Amino acid sequence: MAVPTTAPPAARAAAGAQRRQRPLGHERRRAAYLMLAPAVVHLAWWIGIPTVATFVLAFTRYDILAGTMAWAGLDNFVAIFRDPVWWKAIGNTVVYTFFTVPVAMAIAVVIAVLLNTKLRARAWYRTAVFMPHITATVAIALVWMWMFEPNIGLFNWVLSWFGVRGPAWTSDPAWAMSSVILMSIWKGIGLKMVIYLAALQGIPHDLYEAAEIDGAGPVRRFFAITLPLLGPATFFVLVVSLIDSFQVFEQFYVLTPEGGPANSTTVMTYEIYKSAFQRFDMSTASAQSVVLFAFLLVLTIVGRRFTGRDDVA
Amino acid sequence: MTIRHRSVLRTVAAVAAGLVALAACGGPAPDRGGDGAVSGEISLLTPIFEGADGAAVLEEQLAAFKQQYPDVTVKPDYTSYGKLNEKLTTSIASGQPYDVMLMGAGWIPPFASKGVLADLGQDPASLGSRFFERAVDAGVHEGKVYALPIMMDTRIGIYRKDLFAQAGITEPPKNFAEMREYGKRLTQRAPDGTLQVAGLDVLGIDPRQAFLTMLWAAGGELFAPDGSPAFNSPAGVNALQTMTDVIQVDRSEDVGWTVPNSPTGNVMAQGRTAMMVGHHHFWTQIQEEAPDMIAQDKLGFFVIQDERPAMFQGGTLATVAAQSKHPAAAKALAGFLASDGPALAANQQRGNIPALKSLESSEFVQQNKAIQFAMQNFDAAHSEGGVPQWLDIRDKFKPAIESAMLGQKSPQQALDDLAAEATAALAGR
Repeated sequence: MAVPTTAPPAARAAAGAQRRQRPLGHERRRAAYLMLAPAVVHLAWWIGIPTVATFVLAFTRYDILAGTMAWAGLDNFVAIFRDPVWWKAIGNTVVYTFFTVPVAMAIAVVIAVLLNTKLRARAWYRTAVFMPHITATVAIALVWMWMFEPNIGLFNWVLSWFGVRGPAWTSDPAWAMSSVILMSIWKGIGLKMVIYLAALQGIPHDLYEAAEIDGAGPVRRFFAITLPLLGPATFFVLVVSLIDSFQVFEQFYVLTPEGGPANSTTVMTYEIYKSAFQRFDMSTASAQSVVLFAFLLVLTIVGRRFTGRDDVA
Repeated sequence: MTIRHRSVLRTVAAVAAGLVALAACGGPAPDRGGDGAVSGEISLLTPIFEGADGAAVLEEQLAAFKQQYPDVTVKPDYTSYGKLNEKLTTSIASGQPYDVMLMGAGWIPPFASKGVLADLGQDPASLGSRFFERAVDAGVHEGKVYALPIMMDTRIGIYRKDLFAQAGITEPPKNFAEMREYGKRLTQRAPDGTLQVAGLDVLGIDPRQAFLTMLWAAGGELFAPDGSPAFNSPAGVNALQTMTDVIQVDRSEDVGWTVPNSPTGNVMAQGRTAMMVGHHHFWTQIQEEAPDMIAQDKLGFFVIQDERPAMFQGGTLATVAAQSKHPAAAKALAGFLASDGPALAANQQRGNIPALKSLESSEFVQQNKAIQFAMQNFDAAHSEGGVPQWLDIRDKFKPAIESAMLGQKSPQQALDDLAAEATAALAGR
């Protein structure tokens, strides 16, 4: 109902209240759809359709050069799981995740707690720790590549002070994965630290005061108050980090090109890239993507179980 | 049932690009033939002419092309060999391939066999009068010319004459046994065992290219005449065993001493290796990094040999898309890029070997001993590829060879496993 502008303020307020109580009208619904449209179109075009297409291609034999497609059923999946390199890629991805996620989270908690105390130049330290997160991964990887260089790199130079002959970090299969993990932990701490810092600032200070009166020391306070109350943040960080680590690509691509020495650092994303762009085998790449999608889906569901429920009011 | 060239295919595959980073579908359509006029706007994909300097060189050449063909506009797209596959994939898949594509030797059969490339309608024999035969062969598939050669590159033995003299070695090795022996004699380590000079570097170039050079020198072949894998023959095992022994037994080099395209520069220029299986363009690198070494004639070359002399030979060729809307203009550009002026400029920029015989007398070639050496030894040149599935197979070489060199598998086992993978790829899975 249109309200004349000449209506007294009380009448206008009453009409407004009435309108608020009414279910959404056609006009308002249309406005909502219009406002949602760009995001929906973007999502459908760039996420929805490619996802569906990937699932379709995974069950076909598609020759991108000849432009032919034939139904393949589960052949692509059978083929990839018969491929030892794909298993190696899955194994490497799991190993990478196992070592980067918990270690980076533990370090991030400690740093967050330290940077939550009254400290001189605290803002500078926070910035310094967060900086790697906002720096391009490729740029970081290039710098670390120099530091890992076995003959003139920083790491082996420092090790030589202690009489230790450093390894060929990225060329030796025994060390290549460790090198990437080391860099990834360093890069990943920043964001985790910020999330923990935000969570720490939400913990009521009087809990600590009460614990202190009861005679709890700093370590006891950390394990009895801080860590339990960081639970939701921990699970959020865990889920996000797990998904991130399964999608890792750039640091492997730059630090240990072409799957590293004897495929010691090939990961699922790199194998997908290789299938698609080196072998022109889009069907295999799609099947591998579906497997990766399944991994991420399971991790997300498990994560949601831990965190309680969907973010729905 | 096989669907071919349907719009639905194009749509389905094109959108799949988003998730696996590909824009997909629709293969090449039959050559439309165009209107025959040398006109229109054409696109060029080039993995050479890299960087600002390279782009400047190409722009200059395209200006000359424009003068020759005023009705043709060329839109270049610069990439690197590392990213070339991605560009090719997405362009072909979207049904909008580049009109002219520069690609490597060994790439022609896979693309030609799928109908991606246009038959240039040239006679291989008559091209042989202008270009080196080795270079022409790389662009021929089933008797038809699909690519015109611009440049060639080789993998050869490179050594430091001064370090050889210090070790009392008077001439380059004539077989694998001598190579290994010289390598041991040339290796220098500190008292604590730290490597200071590698006697024989087999890690400085792509492991596949190093292995193939050794394979051919051992008398082996990549594929048998029937197209089946032949690299796991006794000759192949001997080649890989030799490479492995250099690292594991002779300790003439340590893992990590150098890597292909090392960020720390050229190991030979730095005096960190005495002998290597290398790329002839090391000459150009050394010219930039250590010009005194060239001035003092400290650099020597040899053809790797055991059962026979062998040199790995690759190259860059100009191709035309079968789907080009302006085939006449595209063919004109391909021909232009393979002609004297542009080819010389491209080769100078990359320090490579011109495919045109007429450029053999150019100042650039005359001043580059590595190129002259390679040209004198084309009789010993071999090229990789030869089967339509080569692009499926070639990336499997690196991990297989490394697994042997790092002691994870025996050379025989590594090559047998690789042959099994190659056989599966040749069979279409």
